Amino acid sequence: MTTASHFLPKEAGISTLRAGAVPARSGLGLKPGHFRTILVTRPDLGFFEIHAENYMVDGGPFHHYLTQIRRDYALSIHGVGLSIGGEGPLDEEHLDRLASLISRYEPQSFSEHLAWSSHGDIFLNDLLPAPYNPATLQRVCDHIDRVHERLDRRMLLENPATYVEFAASTLAETDFISEVVKRTGCGLLLDVNNVYVSCNNHGRDPQAFIEALPLAAAAQIHLAGFADDVDAAGAPLLIDSHGAPIAQAVWDLYRYTLERTGPLPTLIERDNDIPAFPVLLAEAQQAEKRLQTCRVEVAA
Amino acid sequence: MSQQDFAAALLDPDLPAPAGLAAWNGSDPAQRFRVYRNNVIVSLIDALADTFEVTLELVGEEFFRAIARLYAYACPPQSRLMAFYGAGFPDFIESFPPAAGLPYLADVARLEYRRIVAYHAADVPGVGAEAVAAALADEATLPTLGMTLHPSLSVVVSTSAVVSLWAAHQGILDLSTVAPDAPETALILRHGLNVEVLQIPAAVGAFLCELQAGASLGRAAAEAMSIDTDFNLVSILGLLLQKSAITALNPTRSPT
Amino acid sequence: MNKTLTAASLAFALGTAMTVAATPVAAPMADKEKCFGVALKGKNDCKAGAGTTCAGTSKIDYQGNSWSLVPKGTCEKTASPTSPTGHGQMAEFKERKA
Repeated sequence: MTTASHFLPKEAGISTLRAGAVPARSGLGLKPGHFRTILVTRPDLGFFEIHAENYMVDGGPFHHYLTQIRRDYALSIHGVGLSIGGEGPLDEEHLDRLASLISRYEPQSFSEHLAWSSHGDIFLNDLLPAPYNPATLQRVCDHIDRVHERLDRRMLLENPATYVEFAASTLAETDFISEVVKRTGCGLLLDVNNVYVSCNNHGRDPQAFIEALPLAAAAQIHLAGFADDVDAAGAPLLIDSHGAPIAQAVWDLYRYTLERTGPLPTLIERDNDIPAFPVLLAEAQQAEKRLQTCRVEVAA
Repeated sequence: MSQQDFAAALLDPDLPAPAGLAAWNGSDPAQRFRVYRNNVIVSLIDALADTFEVTLELVGEEFFRAIARLYAYACPPQSRLMAFYGAGFPDFIESFPPAAGLPYLADVARLEYRRIVAYHAADVPGVGAEAVAAALADEATLPTLGMTLHPSLSVVVSTSAVVSLWAAHQGILDLSTVAPDAPETALILRHGLNVEVLQIPAAVGAFLCELQAGASLGRAAAEAMSIDTDFNLVSILGLLLQKSAITALNPTRSPT
Repeated sequence: MNKTLTAASLAFALGTAMTVAATPVAAPMADKEKCFGVALKGKNDCKAGAGTTCAGTSKIDYQGNSWSLVPKGTCEKTASPTSPTGHGQMAEFKERKA
């Protein structure tokens, strides 16, 4: 079994060499309802992101429009179905589909989640949590090694939004992620909303959490809106709904993060109650402003 | 906790939350586990609601979501590609006693599912005039000529007015003028980027199904004429050519 | 075989189909319908069903006679000569107890 370090020099990310990096600007999730608006208005955005599985179809309008949009924009492919945290082996057919999507669109970035979504032959269509212990760590690292090997590029791993913890966990989430990054050479997709949501849900300090992440490996940021719920004790339980504007507290945490990472490509995610394109564009421009401020501060 | 237990509890609300869950504030983790239960089932119901839009409109949101929930628990996705989730939903509707009073419902759902399949089907160009001319030049082999139809093309044969019911929900027809139990046959295909739905005579449906099953032009046309002596071969061939829906002419097929 | 199509008749049909402006079998409906291409969503998204945590908990089934929902959509506007009410099924369905 090849280890990651044999074929993946950490200091020279393969994806960077091959296709260039996603610019450190703001981007939006690509929604079919916005295909035509984007082609007509050519919005000034750093990149678009797609969910890989939506484009694992033979043909038709999705590929037609993505092909046109890809000509003018950098692309991030974000998988939601690989089940990297799954107990079983990775689905090799799914990896094949990813490989062919990646070779077709040559995205500047590929990312997936620290979560599982399949069990046996059932796809649960949600990003599910796993205990942070040595057994999960081994499995996640093996799976990421396999992704690196099969796709021949470095992937980014996204920190999850979670609602429960496990008695079986022996590692803090930040230590777990740091170890995965160290062992596999993968990058970090730092979802700032997920940090905020999970820290709220598990009684942690979001800023300390950010500090404890392997920030040197952070290559992209996700921002999104959450929904409010409560747990059985009446404590606020935040749901990573992707269905609302970004909360002020998350914008603040984003700024805090940028002060430590420098400017990073930043995606505004919206998958529920998708508003008109200009509304999302305005949110992306808000992120863009913070990136510019950050650039000025870094330069000063 | 094994993922087996976690997954089983997600898909069966009667099961307790899996063992081994914890919450920092000592609150009952079962309440938190509900978020996952909710995410899973709501996402599956929403996926069905997106695909079966007209089916939903026909029975209303509440009824639809209730039946979709039963289906999602009984038949959770077995593919990671959610675009095609719900292939078995029309059959599920058909065998669902509370929907028995709406015999057209399952066929409307079938039509809707075929539209999704057509939407995502492979891009294959239609044959050009030269290919047709070449086939015509070899007239003697025409009866055994095979035709490959576009991968987006499918036929839904129904004992109900499946096309009219669907069209009424696109604002094309007035629903109150539709007689739901008039048999109709639907042709679904994608032409360029547009998925089209056409009402075709039953014999034309049979002709297309024969061709899809690999029958020769002569055999398929004879089959159609045995159903309806008025079967208009010129008209359907014209339509197929116009919609770039014949993707290959296969002159070497042996007679079937 | 009572009906055989000759090569000549097939050639005529294919030739005519090619040259004569094709008449659709029925009026195409695609032009008038809602714009399907942009209405269709990507279904593999990171959605969470916000604010409805009961949805995954309360089990609606139709075991026994707990199924009490009736269709309340546009089927009510559908004329059905076979239904005594002139509509689709509106009667409440009650499954008999086993």
